[in-house]
Amino acid sequence: MITTLPPLNEADIHGMDDALAEFLKQTDATTALIIDKGGFMITHQGDARHFDLTTIAALASGAYMANETIASLVHEAKFNSVYQQGESCSMFVNCIDEYCLLVIIFASKLSVGAVKYFAAPAAEAIAEQLRSAQDREPDSGFDLSALNVADTESLFRKRA
Amino acid sequence: MAILNAATKEVQLKIVYYGPALCGKTTNLVEVHKRVQTAPGNKGRLVSLATNSDRTLFFDFLPIEAKTVKGFKTKFQLYTVPGQVIYNATRQLVLRGVDGIVFVADSQYSKMAENVESFQNLEENLRAVNLNLADLPYVLQYNKRDLEGAAPVEYLEFLLNSRDVQVPSFPATAHDCTGVFETLNAISRSLLSKFITQHSPQVAA
Repeated sequence: MITTLPPLNEADIHGMDDALAEFLKQTDATTALIIDKGGFMITHQGDARHFDLTTIAALASGAYMANETIASLVHEAKFNSVYQQGESCSMFVNCIDEYCLLVIIFASKLSVGAVKYFAAPAAEAIAEQLRSAQDREPDSGFDLSALNVADTESLFRKRA
Repeated sequence: MAILNAATKEVQLKIVYYGPALCGKTTNLVEVHKRVQTAPGNKGRLVSLATNSDRTLFFDFLPIEAKTVKGFKTKFQLYTVPGQVIYNATRQLVLRGVDGIVFVADSQYSKMAENVESFQNLEENLRAVNLNLADLPYVLQYNKRDLEGAAPVEYLEFLLNSRDVQVPSFPATAHDCTGVFETLNAISRSLLSKFITQHSPQVAA
């Protein structure tokens, strides 16, 4: 079981991007994102120019987590996915693992059945990539000691 | 839960502003959004999921990128929780994956009980999401210092900051931005320091 999201290297991100790209090819969906349940976007494929993906990630995770709480109130362990249907654009969110979600934005004219069908193996491929990242030696290849906190005296400055 | 993405050389960290109803959590984010100096594109939109009367219903959200430190982009996501007592389930949701906390206290004498209750609620809700306040970087902000009924800072320190380990605290008047950036910089530094330590080779004593 993954206890926390591991540091991700280029191979991890490429592996996940490949799974997303394959999914987009299979479904013709517009954009696919991998986000963590805390609201961060991890990576994405597809159209990023027409959407504020950072905000979508935060709101989608909030909506999914709210649904997870609703599930517990109706005595379900969890709702594995959430579908939001619009007139021209829809969104489907599928659980990847304990910590991550797959978010898909697609034209409403597309078959949601196909999106759901192909989302399952895509989520599994991404989960596998995350498991292999987790299985690496903790923090292997990551050394942030060169970052000096003294340099961060004023990370944020106020406009005069 | 911080995310380290070596492919894009990004560190992402989540800060939650917590505190009793109407203490100024949303005002902090509004002031940061209004006044922060950033390069174009480094500041996202401020999203507020609020009721008709402008009270926070779910959360406020502000993504913001700090200056690049040694080639790493540091991205912070600032959230508030709804302060009203009835929205406790929502507060737990927002705390999921949190990396650092700003506890905003209302300095008015009449709000002391609410401050203490909210702080206890924070500890309970962290436990509910398998976190412990003692393990998280957090800072205190004593807001509304401009009001006549403001209690002395020493009294707030006694009530909220008299644990074994004292944390940084900042007097503030959020609506005119006093203390807002000092608070944000302190929690950001503290978070980053902890994150860097976690991802640095351990040197044997």
